[in-house]
Amino acid sequence: MSTLEIKNLYASVETKEGRKQILRGVNLTVNSGEIHAIMGPNGSGKSTLAYTLAGHPKYEVDSGQALLDGEDLLLMTPDERAKAGLFLAMQYPVEVPGVSMTNFLRTAVTEVSGEAPAIRTWTKELTAAMKQLKMDPKFATRSVNEGFSGGEKKRAEVLQLEMLKPKFAVLDETDSGLDVDALRIVSEGVNRAKAANDFGVLMVTHYTRILKYIKPDIVHVFADGHFVKTGGPELADELEERGYDEYLPEGSDSESALA
Amino acid sequence: MAERREINIPVADPNDPYAVPAAMPSSADTNPRSFDVSDFARPTRKQEDFRFTPVERIEEFLDVFTPSNATTVSVSMIDGAPLEPDMVTLREVPVGQEPTGTVGKPTDRVEAVEWASATRAFVVELKDSPAQPVLVKVHGAGTDLDALHLVVTAADRVHGDVVIEHDGTARLAEGVEITTGTDAHLSVTSIQEWSADSKHVGGHRIHVGAESSVRHAVITLGGTVVRLRMDQDFGGEHGDINMLGIYFVDPGEHIEHRTMVVHNHPDCKSRVVYKGALDGKGAHSTWVGNALIEPTAPGTDSYELNRNLVLTPGAIADSEPNLEIENGNIIGAGHASSVGRFDDEELFYLQSRGIPEAQARKLVVRGFFAELVEEIGIDAIAGHLMEAIDRRLARGEDAATQTVLEEK
Repeated sequence: MSTLEIKNLYASVETKEGRKQILRGVNLTVNSGEIHAIMGPNGSGKSTLAYTLAGHPKYEVDSGQALLDGEDLLLMTPDERAKAGLFLAMQYPVEVPGVSMTNFLRTAVTEVSGEAPAIRTWTKELTAAMKQLKMDPKFATRSVNEGFSGGEKKRAEVLQLEMLKPKFAVLDETDSGLDVDALRIVSEGVNRAKAANDFGVLMVTHYTRILKYIKPDIVHVFADGHFVKTGGPELADELEERGYDEYLPEGSDSESALA
Repeated sequence: MAERREINIPVADPNDPYAVPAAMPSSADTNPRSFDVSDFARPTRKQEDFRFTPVERIEEFLDVFTPSNATTVSVSMIDGAPLEPDMVTLREVPVGQEPTGTVGKPTDRVEAVEWASATRAFVVELKDSPAQPVLVKVHGAGTDLDALHLVVTAADRVHGDVVIEHDGTARLAEGVEITTGTDAHLSVTSIQEWSADSKHVGGHRIHVGAESSVRHAVITLGGTVVRLRMDQDFGGEHGDINMLGIYFVDPGEHIEHRTMVVHNHPDCKSRVVYKGALDGKGAHSTWVGNALIEPTAPGTDSYELNRNLVLTPGAIADSEPNLEIENGNIIGAGHASSVGRFDDEELFYLQSRGIPEAQARKLVVRGFFAELVEEIGIDAIAGHLMEAIDRRLARGEDAATQTVLEEK
């Protein structure tokens, strides 16, 4: 049983117009096995929250903590956060030319687990996971994300989630750009990984459609850099119907904001 | 004063393309071609060809010297098996005796000094297509000045691969001549894996026969100063030259590659792709890629590219493509050049998967080169090259990571 506790988190990003604070007092507690959906309008800072937790160099923490079982992730380098048990499935996975998926995954698993996995069981596990995600075996020999379609990149993210077995998974708009079939396959992958490892999930999304496949326990509305409302799954339906307008501050420019 | 004269487009002799002074004098290529050292001025940084070279660090190679002849050369098949004499032969001949000196002439003073100083020449002749690559091991025995000449020839219709491996410690001037007959397909891969205090200067002169293809690869992974020039021409129509280069430059090292592709026959194709990584203060690389498309070469298809990855601040990469096109009737003549630093997004992505920064950098660098190595397309050679690159990257690496790198 693990706990991720985000306490009073403030974070900024450097822009052409100067420093801009995006996260303004984020508080959240997630336990192993829980699925939290984080919904909110464009530019509210949802993705910034995801990247700040993972340690992207673009975002600077002003104050606050993100405690994973008491250890502050925000004081760690990105790789240390991954080793501590955090995984971020990115909205736009990065292409790494010349590095094969197999080599990359094996290196990552070696680092996260602290030892190189035995070749035979490793190959078996990888092949099985790829098959369940309906990924062509040739992806294993291709460069990381290079030339992958949007859907293939998302499957590759879920493949990593399954192989790396984190304590907490942040899924940043994993549903964006997926057709119905791909959405189902990706969602099943997340559910399978969660069933196997019972991690906590922070699922950042605009839309409720992924929530049909990955059932949230708790739904949060994120606006203007912090959580403004928390409820059960019924809150998602309410948002679907009424939109985010009521959560936007008067004269808000958040539509055009960064993040 | 100026006399008017009719301009005739000269027809170049394929064996001596510079015998006839070009009516439109080439600005990319004004060097004399000569075996005589005195035909070349002493290099200074004011000369175009030595503009990027720390001339003072190669001073010992600028005047004729007595070679130590301590550098050892051994030739076998790549798996260590002896040569099969009906396919591949090795001969040692005095410099000056054919086939030495038959592939062009020295193009700078350093090459002329090598020619005048070297007493030993090793000739590897591919008479028939060997089943596996030929391995030429050149081992440096110390820092006594040495000069060495190599010739690689492939007969008509021969398909073959040759790997030249340099290691040990050396101060070596080396001339390599590479030539093919008609309809031959030859690859020559030269790996420089010298110790950090070694110096290596010289050049490769390459002649691609009609209807033939040559894949030429240069991989320079070590040495305090390495300066190589590659000069190439074609012997007839439909020749194909592919020049690949990889270099890795450590602090204080100067690694320089200069390629000169000469399109002197119709319908030939050339590709030059050099990639380098530079690490640390005072690491200096130079790539100068010259391509000359002569009036006699309609239907030319040519492209050259250089990419540099600066790993840490303080490194300098000079990258200069030069194109001179004297024939408008061509398929293409392109070039690209870049010097860039690490992509932060790539690094973050790898780090976010638990891979520490130092190792993430290595993976990115490995990938940067692997793309190029894959293009070589010959498994035995590609494997050999990646091993050399992995050896270079694995320096100071912990055991677990080494295992992963080795298993790939």
